[in-house]
Amino acid sequence: MDQILNVLVMGLLLGGVYGLVSVGLNLIFGTVRIVNFAQGELVMFGMYGSYYAYNMLGMSPYVSVFLVAPAVGLLGVLIQRLVIQPLHNESNMQIFATFGLLMMFQNIMLAFTRGEARSVGGDFGTVVIEIGDIKIGAVRLLTFVITTAITIGLHLFLTRTITGKSVRAVTQDKRAARTMGINVEKTFLMTFGIGAALAGLAGVMLTPIYSITPGVGGNFILAAFAVVVLGGLGSVWGAYLGGLIVGVVEAFAGYYIDPALRHAIWFLIFLVVLIIRPAGLMGQVGAEEVGFREQN
Amino acid sequence: MNKTNASRPLAERAAAVAPEVSGLESPSTALWRYLALMGLAGLPLVFLAKDPYWLNIIAFTYLMGGLAAAWNIIGGFGGQFSLGHGVFFGIGAYATAVGTTTYGASPWLIMVPAALAAAAVSMLISWPTFRLRGPFFAIATMAFNEVAFVLANHFDSFTGGPRGIMIPFKAGFANMIFKERWQYAVLMFAFVALVIGVSVWLRRSRLGYYLLAVREDEDAARACGIDVLAIKLKGMALSAFLTAMGGTLFTMYLRFIDPPTLFTLQDVGVKFALLSLIGGVGTVAGPLLGAALIVPFENFLRAELANALPGINLAILGLLMVLAALFMKRGVVGAFEDLVAWVKRKFGGRS
Amino acid sequence: MSTPLLQTRSASKHFMGLKAVDEVSLAVNKGEVVSIIGPNGAGKTTYFNLLTGQLAPTLGEVSLRGQVINDLAPHQRAKLGMGRTFQIVKPLIALSALENVMVGAFLRHPRHADARDQAMAVLTRVGLGALAKRRAGELTLSERRRLEVARALALDPEIMLLDEVMAGLNQSETGRCIDLLRSLHEELGLTFLIIEHNLKVVRAFSERVVVLDRGRLIAEGTADDILSSPEVVKAYLGEGHQWTPS
Repeated sequence: MDQILNVLVMGLLLGGVYGLVSVGLNLIFGTVRIVNFAQGELVMFGMYGSYYAYNMLGMSPYVSVFLVAPAVGLLGVLIQRLVIQPLHNESNMQIFATFGLLMMFQNIMLAFTRGEARSVGGDFGTVVIEIGDIKIGAVRLLTFVITTAITIGLHLFLTRTITGKSVRAVTQDKRAARTMGINVEKTFLMTFGIGAALAGLAGVMLTPIYSITPGVGGNFILAAFAVVVLGGLGSVWGAYLGGLIVGVVEAFAGYYIDPALRHAIWFLIFLVVLIIRPAGLMGQVGAEEVGFREQN
Repeated sequence: MNKTNASRPLAERAAAVAPEVSGLESPSTALWRYLALMGLAGLPLVFLAKDPYWLNIIAFTYLMGGLAAAWNIIGGFGGQFSLGHGVFFGIGAYATAVGTTTYGASPWLIMVPAALAAAAVSMLISWPTFRLRGPFFAIATMAFNEVAFVLANHFDSFTGGPRGIMIPFKAGFANMIFKERWQYAVLMFAFVALVIGVSVWLRRSRLGYYLLAVREDEDAARACGIDVLAIKLKGMALSAFLTAMGGTLFTMYLRFIDPPTLFTLQDVGVKFALLSLIGGVGTVAGPLLGAALIVPFENFLRAELANALPGINLAILGLLMVLAALFMKRGVVGAFEDLVAWVKRKFGGRS
Repeated sequence: MSTPLLQTRSASKHFMGLKAVDEVSLAVNKGEVVSIIGPNGAGKTTYFNLLTGQLAPTLGEVSLRGQVINDLAPHQRAKLGMGRTFQIVKPLIALSALENVMVGAFLRHPRHADARDQAMAVLTRVGLGALAKRRAGELTLSERRRLEVARALALDPEIMLLDEVMAGLNQSETGRCIDLLRSLHEELGLTFLIIEHNLKVVRAFSERVVVLDRGRLIAEGTADDILSSPEVVKAYLGEGHQWTPS
């Protein structure tokens, strides 16, 4: 029983990580309606940013996040303006373009760092809290808390502020929003920027736990896709819940089945959801663009 | 808009030079265009047959051209951007490697059944995923590629796992192992000639037209009596079949395969799509042109720069992909067609 | 009385409580020209989609030549002789006009040369012969509409379902389109079921008119009867209006 509890807790904490990485992707998915293949690389930039801030400026990740996240956010705005916006109705070309960005970002960092793994100082990463027989990594717990806080913050932003409401309007119906006077292009820029900043933030927060390599983004991107699809496009709480579910399922799969096959879980979840319930758990919008049509 | 009779022949002669098959020519014209294209493609082999460095590049260019053209059948004609063709490539590769080492069979005998198996697998995994729209279809195919990678690593008693499989050198036609590089180059040339030939046939066949219709507008296709899902599956099966054949040839050329070699997206699955994009996605000659431009170029990058800057070749390819998606969607062939159209307008527009 | 070519019996389509189409029964006989009119949102296109198979009826039946076809997909209905055009025209943009029509022609002519010949003939028939090699993306709206008619014609259909095929055309283009449809009707004996907003077209090219309002069929008759019926006027313009046919 204890073991099950341990696995469950591990799964939930892992879910916190996935939720953090996915929240930005979900925002971009839901609003701009594009699949940003390079999202994992934005997380990677966040990690490297925090590493260099630590190494060169002595800043702890929890401080440098205020520098790094906006920087990655700015990169996101540039990507939206220069690459995504010109391709706004050509989804196939968007796939090429964002995948090309993935290749660029990953391999530029590879060339820059010669592929050596980096990590940020181990003082945080090793602290463990024990509750009874259950061991909880302090950093992972903190990440979970941060994910929850960000989810709440995003929810409040989207429901209580005018800007946030305009984002939701664009998410639901681009054309109607335009007729209401909402500048859709600006909303896309802002949304992509926020989504990218959240990815950067996730990267910074994860530096104590994961070792930093150019390919680290690839670890997250498929899981993030599964989370977003499971939770439902455009639903902030859906992505949160989806992250938890994916984390728990993966933890249990890794425990009872071969750990090496864990990664196949993401894919299974992704496919099963899209076939059975394209709208995901709490999806409100965009499902008709995601999954099945009514007839074959 | 009146065209003078004098300038029309000039414009038409320009169009006739284009190696691209449009689908409307007479069968003999299409045949001549195909032979001209393959003749042009074969010239480097003829002139550089003594240089082992260039022979290697040429052989690889032909192979990648054929693989890109195979992808182009479902990705270009059909508009279904699969990022998972590495799966079919891997099926051909592993079937060949295991078949020759464990069972001592000839690769020639393995090639077709392996390709059929790949075609069957392609239909199986595509059937649920074709219902997904563009980007989500791409993600699903990407995921299939990752699953194949995990499975190949896991079932190591069959696949050799991370260690991979090495095929000992034993020259002989029946083994598909050749002493001379130029013989490999000819083999690869035959492969790309086959795939391009299939593309030419396809472009003019009912299946080809139906694939194009599905790409352009699925509802309009249905209104024309087209069973969209069935056509997509057929296109995918054909594409997977030819891709797996390429996997067989690749395996016998390198004589070593392992999961990263086969399933690394950026080197394999996405590369096929990238070459088609640069050359002209959805055209017949595009994939080969793309290969001719990119494969030697990337080789150069890797040789000159990759020691100082690992991965720079892929970074530059990524940049090319972004630029091509933004500015050159129809690739080199498209640019050529625009040029021809410009010539027509310039010299044909006067009354 | 022989079996109607196309028929619906109490066909309905409900979207979560909204009855977009509410028990519409209509029979179209071979060789007829029937128009469906009605104010915006009346459910005309939804009804069309029930006929073509893009939507499945919540209740009721759709029959072709007496056989219920509720379960048939759109492509199967096209094979059985239903040709259709779309309210927002859908050309295959990257292909030439000729190749667009070839896609339709391939249904009954599997060989390339036959399909091309058939397509060229149909294209000429609708007056687009000179534009055969032109890319569909470069055609004007009027040309695209005719192209879509040609593509449907190439299927050798028995009935043509046209959804606002005149929308967006100017007066002379509309006139030419009416002439084309009339000549197709007379020469080929094609049956037509069309959705139209333009009442002049309805008057010029309909034997029977059917009026939909809020999903229900509220009137049926000849063009003259319908266009002077007070119920129809009320549906279009509201209470207390009078409409004088010009």
